[in-house]
Amino acid sequence: MKISLDWISDYVDINDIPVDVVADRLTMCTAEVEDVLEVRRSVAQVVVGEVIDCRDIPAAPNLKLVTVDCGTRRFQTVCGAPNVRKGLKAPFAPPGTRLANGVEIAVAEVSGHRSEGVLCSPAELGMSRWHEGLLECPPSLPNGAPLAQWIPDRDVLIEIDNKSLTHRPDLWGHYGFARELAAIFRRPLRPLPVVDLSQYDHLPTYPLTVDDYENCPCYGCIDLRVRAGVPAPLVIQRRLHALGQRTFNLMVDLTNYIMWEIGQPTHAFDGDRVHAIRVAPLGKPGTFVTLDGQERQLLPDDLLIWNEKEPVALAGVMGGLESEVTPTTTHVLLESANFKASRIRRTSVRLDLRTEAAQRFEKGQPPVNVKIGTARALQCLIDSGEPFEVLSRFTVAGDLKEAPRPLSIPWRTVDTMAGQKIPRQEAVGILRHLGFLAEEKGETLEVGIPAHRSEKDISIPADVVEEILRIYGYDRIEPRLPEGPMAALPVNVGLRKEHQARRVLAGAHGFVEVQNYVWLDDNWLAELGYQPGETLTLKNPPAQTCRRLRPVLLPNLLALVRPNRAHRDMFRIFEIGRVFRPQANDGCEERTHLAGVSFRSSGKGDQEEHFRSIRGALEDLGAVLTGQALRFVAGQDSPFPWCVPGYWVKILLGDTTVGAAGVLDPVLARVVALEGQVVWFELDLEAIQAPIYPVVHYRPLAVYPRSWQDFSLLWDVTKGFDSLEAVLSKFQHPLISEREFLYVFKGKGLPQGQASYTFRYWLAAPDHTLTGEEIEGFRTAFLSFLQENGISLR
Amino acid sequence: MDEILEQLRRDVAAATDSKQVEQVRVKYLGRKGIITTLAKNTDFSRLSSEEKRSFGQRLNALKSEAEQLLKEALEKAKAAEKDLVRKVAGLDLSLPGIDRRLGSIHPIALVQMELEEIFQGMGFRVLTGYEVELEYYNFDALNIPPDHPARDMQDTFWLDNGMLLRTHTSANQVRALETYGVPLRAIFPGRCFRNEAIDASHENTFYQLEGLLVDRDISVAHLIAVMKTLLSQVFKREVTVRLRPGFFPFVEPGFELDVQCLICGGKGCATCKQTGWIELIPCGLVHPKVLEFGRVDPNIYSGFAFGMGLTRMAMMKFGIPDIRLFNSGDIRFYEQFPAAF
Repeated sequence: MKISLDWISDYVDINDIPVDVVADRLTMCTAEVEDVLEVRRSVAQVVVGEVIDCRDIPAAPNLKLVTVDCGTRRFQTVCGAPNVRKGLKAPFAPPGTRLANGVEIAVAEVSGHRSEGVLCSPAELGMSRWHEGLLECPPSLPNGAPLAQWIPDRDVLIEIDNKSLTHRPDLWGHYGFARELAAIFRRPLRPLPVVDLSQYDHLPTYPLTVDDYENCPCYGCIDLRVRAGVPAPLVIQRRLHALGQRTFNLMVDLTNYIMWEIGQPTHAFDGDRVHAIRVAPLGKPGTFVTLDGQERQLLPDDLLIWNEKEPVALAGVMGGLESEVTPTTTHVLLESANFKASRIRRTSVRLDLRTEAAQRFEKGQPPVNVKIGTARALQCLIDSGEPFEVLSRFTVAGDLKEAPRPLSIPWRTVDTMAGQKIPRQEAVGILRHLGFLAEEKGETLEVGIPAHRSEKDISIPADVVEEILRIYGYDRIEPRLPEGPMAALPVNVGLRKEHQARRVLAGAHGFVEVQNYVWLDDNWLAELGYQPGETLTLKNPPAQTCRRLRPVLLPNLLALVRPNRAHRDMFRIFEIGRVFRPQANDGCEERTHLAGVSFRSSGKGDQEEHFRSIRGALEDLGAVLTGQALRFVAGQDSPFPWCVPGYWVKILLGDTTVGAAGVLDPVLARVVALEGQVVWFELDLEAIQAPIYPVVHYRPLAVYPRSWQDFSLLWDVTKGFDSLEAVLSKFQHPLISEREFLYVFKGKGLPQGQASYTFRYWLAAPDHTLTGEEIEGFRTAFLSFLQENGISLR
Repeated sequence: MDEILEQLRRDVAAATDSKQVEQVRVKYLGRKGIITTLAKNTDFSRLSSEEKRSFGQRLNALKSEAEQLLKEALEKAKAAEKDLVRKVAGLDLSLPGIDRRLGSIHPIALVQMELEEIFQGMGFRVLTGYEVELEYYNFDALNIPPDHPARDMQDTFWLDNGMLLRTHTSANQVRALETYGVPLRAIFPGRCFRNEAIDASHENTFYQLEGLLVDRDISVAHLIAVMKTLLSQVFKREVTVRLRPGFFPFVEPGFELDVQCLICGGKGCATCKQTGWIELIPCGLVHPKVLEFGRVDPNIYSGFAFGMGLTRMAMMKFGIPDIRLFNSGDIRFYEQFPAAF
């Protein structure tokens, strides 16, 4: 929304206030000013000229040889404007005039004809960018009169983001802003000039029925005889052009002008094409041709304006092609109506027909504008000097809701919301400036909410308090910290786990935290060979292949290996994020997962060692999160393509499965990494349930020195370390204080399929230093245990 | 005797290590040393008592002079020998460290962790909601009925099952009121989604941090004070803030909170687009209808709510120019944010 200060000055005098102050106060009290633009027009020396002769130039079919009468002088000029014609009055710039583009007009030869001066388009005058035709002046203007009488050389536009006006339908027109500025600067607001419509009450009522008061609470119209096709007064045209609107003719410009002035869209029907108005929904699917010539697909609920049985307008959105006023129209039915915001919004959003009218109706225009719009339009007609005749009374169906809506607000509410005492007289004054009725009655503020403020906008005491405070000035409110009893602050266990995981993985194991989108790309899933089964899906996805919401984190993490391996020959990444699974009754189960991927290019050690280094990180993580040891159990067949038996393990806490980890098998590793090793893991953080401060018990320190004995044991690789551990754990001996696994050796000199596992047994007694005999006794017992279990030493 | 002293000085000067110094000591002060024998070989009986006294004095002076010289020489030699040993070890402590295992934490998580600490210090509990949310909590319960134009402001990702990806963390307000009742002080950090085209300053996936305080008689004055305190903690210095009207259906009155530009101090610069202010936190007093949706009596309780863009805070804090980097998956970006706890 652009606000013309030229227009504002009709209603409030703020010319003495610097523009930057006006903009700043609007920002602080009403809505954020995005920009301040200056309009500079080149009107000096430009005069009203009448085309008294207009001839074709045979050599140049697009040009005319024109004689322009400027009162005291006549000029011959060559003109290419499509709307140049005999009888037209338009701005004329004689030789020597400097136009908006900086060019000084000189006498020239065009297509073999002398051309002295030019007839001007709005763009040439700097009124707007519109240059497709001449600015048409009303025929009543005297030839040769300086244009500056009607078009001043300067205007200032204040631009406001429409989004910040969503809740203020009254600010979709200049008068609303004039009222704000009057309140902000405590200056009088001049009333909007309107005709008294009751003077036409003796005329016949126009045939009007509203079938759907739910969606059309109020509809008004008045039948007029008027020269619709003549140019509108220049004051109207200059203001519409300043806002970037092009101008057409009196009747069309007038309806636009009313809309930009008070926010109320009105519509002019060709009075010969309509005879009786009915407002009703379409009732069945169908089509309608709007005045832009487009055929629109409509739904049964879409609201239409009907001429008897023929639809003539898409209510509140756009008129119809058939009933549009044309330059020759002399009979006009002027509609000023009120439609339900959500109805208009639904239709206009669906058709992607976001017209100025629709944008205003969907904010919820107040019904009183039905009347004000009509009364203002007739006043503008009078002001235009064009003759017109009113053929019907102002006919209204529905409630105009003209009466102010009463509301009582305890003064305590005002002070409580502000957090300090607000002077009552000042509050009352502010409300009155904004058009409210306001009276201080003891401990109560009695308010009448004016009809021009919509019910959506102002209906509860808080709404009124906001009106007071924003004009009073938030900068006048003294900050004060809230008091309140101290209460225990419970820890967010889930978040704490997330942050602990970050600290362990990033702080101790060199992982880099990344984040991915929550959707999965079908193309990538196909490459991975992963069919996620039933997932939640987006109705309007960011891309057609990205409809599925992730049920696990890993696929998107694996997708990062290829791009990043270009930069690093090894890296570890992890992600903490939500995963989603559909539930019965259109529900969703959402959980927080932690997943990680470690990449090493070939030649960076073996895969087993690689996996063990990541498993070490998970073991640390388990210790931090739970105080217990996580268990890793060989995984079986699985629907996840990255879970290949022999290449993955389940991770358990006690008996609860909390995740999985593994190495990508060579086939999938090629897909994911092209070349190199990939280790992965994924944990369900919510499944990891443990006291947030794990219980730890002190163990007494050994008083006497410990001894140790190392054993290298041969064991089948396929059976694995776990099963060897299981056997060894059965060996009990009073001297054992700890069994430590040192390393595994696979290689030359070992029996086929076996590896050497080296353990260190730490031996101690609580009350003395061990003797050689005692140690030997342990050794004998252990060796015979190994023999019983078929385990040989290397 | 003077000659002996001169000779000794020359010998000491010639000695290059402690061993040679010792040899010099033996030569002069050893049992058969020059000074020792000088005393022994003197026949004191032939000297007068006057001569005896004078000789004795001179001899003692010579001895202590010699001892002093040798002591100093020995210390010097030993120090030189230590230096030599250390030089041979040749430690270069200026080399960079190794075995570093520090990874990195996502920049948004870093900012989130910091803000959680600040808010917890101010008595706010930290709550998380759902990324896949019901339309009710994301819109209706926030006083945004269907077809409300405010829904235009937030292009929503809808699910086929009728749910949606939450468009703002405000969706937690009514959930929190329902669950925890009043009085309540809570923040809700989390991921939000809006279906818009992505460019350097627009993302369809981003983080917010919503805050809610509900108690008796909560006012605009409280809101300003809490925001000022908070922002002073965030920016580690006093900040100047201002409120101006802003519209959000779930607050009344609604505000945009601007902070005076920290780069130029309000004079106007490129960062604040010459305005002197940076729009930072949309906020307002909780709309009575929202309290009612949360089963709180608006006649007794009032509150304020505010929303911070965590992603935007991270961009400001770390000087990140392109919002797309956060979800880029490029570790060269993430690695720049060390795991600072």
